[in-house]
Amino acid sequence: MNGKTSRRKQLFLFRWKEYGVGYLFMLPWLIGFIAFVAFPVGWSLWNSFNQVFITSEGFKYTWVGLNNFRRMLIENNAYPIILLTYMQEVLLIIPLILIFSFFVSLLLNERFPGRAWMRALFFLPVIFATGQVIMELFGQGAGQLPFVQDYKLDVILREYFNESTANMLLGILGKAVIILWYSGVQILIFIAGFQTIPKTVYEAVKVDGASPWESFWKITFPGMLPFIGLNAVYTIVDLFTFPLNPVMEIVRNNMFSPTTGYGYASAMAWLYFAIIMVLLGITLWLTYRATKGRGDVR
Amino acid sequence: MKLEGVYKQVRDDVRATLADRKTQKLKRLIIGQNVKDGVIAKLIIIALLTVIGFLYVKPILYMISTSLKSVADMIDPVVGLIPRELNLDNYKDAWKGLNYLDGFADTMTIALLGSIFQVFTCALTGYALARLKFPGKNLFFFLILIAFLIPPQLTIVPLYMIYSELGWINTPFVFLIPAIFGQGLRGALFIIIFRQFFHTQPKALEEAAKIDGASVFRLFFRIMMPLATGACLVVFLFSFVWYWNMSYEAALFLSKDFTPLSLRLSSMQMELLGNKAIDFSAGVGKDPISEGPKMAGAFLIIFPPLVIYLIAQRWFTEGIERTGLVE
Repeated sequence: MNGKTSRRKQLFLFRWKEYGVGYLFMLPWLIGFIAFVAFPVGWSLWNSFNQVFITSEGFKYTWVGLNNFRRMLIENNAYPIILLTYMQEVLLIIPLILIFSFFVSLLLNERFPGRAWMRALFFLPVIFATGQVIMELFGQGAGQLPFVQDYKLDVILREYFNESTANMLLGILGKAVIILWYSGVQILIFIAGFQTIPKTVYEAVKVDGASPWESFWKITFPGMLPFIGLNAVYTIVDLFTFPLNPVMEIVRNNMFSPTTGYGYASAMAWLYFAIIMVLLGITLWLTYRATKGRGDVR
Repeated sequence: MKLEGVYKQVRDDVRATLADRKTQKLKRLIIGQNVKDGVIAKLIIIALLTVIGFLYVKPILYMISTSLKSVADMIDPVVGLIPRELNLDNYKDAWKGLNYLDGFADTMTIALLGSIFQVFTCALTGYALARLKFPGKNLFFFLILIAFLIPPQLTIVPLYMIYSELGWINTPFVFLIPAIFGQGLRGALFIIIFRQFFHTQPKALEEAAKIDGASVFRLFFRIMMPLATGACLVVFLFSFVWYWNMSYEAALFLSKDFTPLSLRLSSMQMELLGNKAIDFSAGVGKDPISEGPKMAGAFLIIFPPLVIYLIAQRWFTEGIERTGLVE
């Protein structure tokens, strides 16, 4: 009896020693997470319900409830409009990047001489996607697709769409190359994804008489759905610090503005976060639905 | 007579089948057994990729060509992508305007040290998540995914408040300290990469080491880390490039004294306009005087990561496959 309990105690000690090592390995990350993620997120939420003043003794808070959000949405309604316009753009940018990177990776997946060079070329922009360099190039109109002007696409678009939609589409086309520069990692993920579909499956459907077109839609595309979802999520995350994303700039300007301050800026960030969460939720839900019954992503 | 006729027929038959086979072989070579294997298909693929690739890198070509143009070449509409003569004055201006060596040192401090710290902590965390047993592991992994999905906009306001309280604003600490604790730029992504990598390693090694009496730390530093050299390199390179290019977080936290190159481009313009008294405000939009130096500056900024990419290109493009991020 006695031996049993002591043995159980030993087992318990042994287990916790093992667990302890695991926690020790996690410790740096955990400290960092609490200090640089969890705590700031909580503080940011607290800020968003307060008016924050900087005094000589540090920060002073006045509880204003939802007033920051009310001011942002109703009084100075510039921000919601900017946010909505940008979200419309994002909804166009994501499929643009996904379709482009899928198509290019499909081509890059084939065997042909000089493939390594081509792969290197399409990854090149990731290397120097510095915000300011990109803004500079964009400012000089270097990001425009050449055929937009050549074929007078602007006139055509204005004819078939209303003013604001046409402007938005033209805006996207005007910076299309820069946007597509953000598809380097996505192309790599797609190429890696193609390798997960076994070659024998293709051989089997070929024997059964499927054309390449059919085998693409019946085998490749369904097999790639999880990767499309993964890339959509990655694209959304990548767009957080996209140089043409106005939110960062606005938040920063409002932080130091005397009329608004930290509280108001935090409220703005939370509104952005809420919209992003909805977007991510929809993406994940769609991916989940499309890949139900298949292996999970990651 | 009869025999000869038969012989002739057989000969013709053989010739015909041989010729047929030849054309078939040629046909197979051009069109391919599979639609995708033929020469035609390959030519189409190469042509498509070349066209797309040219559009893709055109802004870079534009940048390089503009940076080499003199003001006269800039104004002259006849001069296209290729300047009439190579003019390195823009580079001299940009070098001075960016205060290049200074900025280089500042950027290097963040990118190099930050990446080293990130590799270390992310490997540690990724290993724990992949191999060690402890309760709450899934919760930790879930939190890492959440950390990846939180936009930086949400945390920069309180982070600025924290850093200014600590007096870290305008010092490299704002990026180095979070990197030590695994919260550097896209740290969550790197942890996931390491976790996937360690998942794919055989368990037998660890068991053997454990039987030989090695502690977990010894096992990690002596066996697992050397094994993970490839993954470490991939994470280091990505982290380095991303730190080098980071401009938004940097613009908030580092505005004076300690300025990475990515932020110096806009201040360079001010300096250049101050230096050059000639006013060229007549032309709307493109300003031929500051455009050349600006493009030269942009090229100088991206030059170091470009060199690294040329050397380590293989690890970048194959890295994602090799580390098994995608399974």
